[in-house]
Amino acid sequence: MTWVLVRKLLRDIWLPLVVVATLLFLFQILWGRITSRITTQIITDLQRAGLTLEFLQNVLLSRNEMIGQLVQAIIGGEQVELNKSDNFMSISYVHPLPLTILGIFAIGRAANAIAGEIDRGTMELLLAQPIRRMQIVLAHLVVDMIVIPTLCLTIWIGTYCSTWWNGLQTSENAMQRVDPMRFLPALLCIFALVFAHSGVTMWISSMGRSRARVWGWAITLFLCMFLINVFGQILPEALEWLRPLTVHYHYQPQQMIFNEDWYARGSVWFHLSVLIGAGAVGYTLAWTTFCRRDLPAPL
Amino acid sequence: MLLRTEQLTKNYGAVTALDRLDLEVVPGEIVGILGPNGSGKSTALRLMLGFLKPTSGRAAIAGHDCWADSVNARRLVSYLPGELRLYENMTGIQLINFLSDLRKHSPTDRVDQLARLFDIDIQRPLAQMSSGMKRKIALMQVLLPETPLVILDEPTNTLDPNMRDQLLSQLAQAGKRGQTVLFSSHVLTEVEQICDRVAILQRGRLVHWQDMASLRKIRRVRVRLSQAVDAIAAPAHVESLRTHAQELDFQYTGPLPELLRWLGELPVADLQIEPMGLAEIYQKYHQMIGSN
Repeated sequence: MTWVLVRKLLRDIWLPLVVVATLLFLFQILWGRITSRITTQIITDLQRAGLTLEFLQNVLLSRNEMIGQLVQAIIGGEQVELNKSDNFMSISYVHPLPLTILGIFAIGRAANAIAGEIDRGTMELLLAQPIRRMQIVLAHLVVDMIVIPTLCLTIWIGTYCSTWWNGLQTSENAMQRVDPMRFLPALLCIFALVFAHSGVTMWISSMGRSRARVWGWAITLFLCMFLINVFGQILPEALEWLRPLTVHYHYQPQQMIFNEDWYARGSVWFHLSVLIGAGAVGYTLAWTTFCRRDLPAPL
Repeated sequence: MLLRTEQLTKNYGAVTALDRLDLEVVPGEIVGILGPNGSGKSTALRLMLGFLKPTSGRAAIAGHDCWADSVNARRLVSYLPGELRLYENMTGIQLINFLSDLRKHSPTDRVDQLARLFDIDIQRPLAQMSSGMKRKIALMQVLLPETPLVILDEPTNTLDPNMRDQLLSQLAQAGKRGQTVLFSSHVLTEVEQICDRVAILQRGRLVHWQDMASLRKIRRVRVRLSQAVDAIAAPAHVESLRTHAQELDFQYTGPLPELLRWLGELPVADLQIEPMGLAEIYQKYHQMIGSN
């Protein structure tokens, strides 16, 4: 019976899914082009003009300068070397634009899941049938397990296609060469982040009766987390301690892209566990909350 | 007993939406729940469907507790919500198939039969249907599974008079098939038309149970006399006799020839005999509560 619900939910979601997947794919294509232009042309031109790589790296990524702190907070980690194509390409996995698209998609879907159904009045129709409330939450979990990997895969296909079209896979210059397979493990990290968004929002949704209000609460929560994570890097003395409480702090795909032995690093698994744990706890709380609550009449 | 509620109560904070409702409905019965807005009709139905958790008391359908064992209870129920909202991205037939799949019930050729009867194109997207047409689709999904209990919350809302009659006839047929029908309404005539029993709710409390068979035996008689009569000796079976100038108004439960024989002795100028309707009973409780 859960499969009947899953089929229906997939049918409802296919259009937004296609739109989001296309946007993510196109972003990767665009970023591949930007990477190619910067690492093969612009950096070389700047070096010819007398600007050394060290100077650029210091200006753009120095932790002691405000610009460096901001750029680093956005593109991630001190490990990024701007003249390396795979390093530059990895920025697309932490760039705020795809993360915002993924976040909005996950929040929107989860807000619609319970509060949205109550808001539209269709939850009554659904729960008048002999199905358990738990099955509704389970069906959404199954849909997440199908939809999120699909989006992750689309991102990777985008990475593959863009690096291939821009000749980065076969470049003779080792600094400019990109191996798209190195990006595959990072999909786990993207999956975990989107799942965390979805699970936490599902919990908020299970308590609500208005889709818009759930949207508001969830976006405020994740925006606060994002800002705490950014300002925690700019003002570490005051805010660093708060960063581990944000999902964005635990989203570290570049560790998995840059290090071939990522699976041997405890910190990688710790961060992944926190994100997946947040999603799982969110879903569990959504299940218990929804199963115990009254189903109000539609607004 | 198919449906039983025992001291069923629902509070929203300090507000009591339903107060110690005791109800027993047997298989094949058609029961109406009457009451003004806010009297607790919908709350009672929503408690029976397991949408709401009772504050105290319980409701059970064929022995299955409506909250704790709600899935088994709902297996025996089909429900038409008062505030009808459907999945607008589906066609009529897609919605019917989806809900049938959830019930593990395959819709038979009765789908086409009902579609013809209700004069509705089930292939049309719901988004392009009027509210009356959507209601017909929702009614089809209620009537198709032929569950032992059919619960309808104000089912004739937005229906045209023809469709309303069609629906009431379908409900009467469901009753004849042995299905139990429980529906809320504030349209007294439709309740009178098909119900076996009627519960009147006021401010969350069940104030009166009316058996319709005994109500139908009562006649309301209004007589206008051509001249005043000194003393009126009313025969047996005359109740609630009121006299005003040269007019008599009373209820009569006895055999008609006896009544006509008595009236023949009076100087009758005009006479009205009609079945006693629910309106008077409803008004009686409505006014009684209103004056408290």
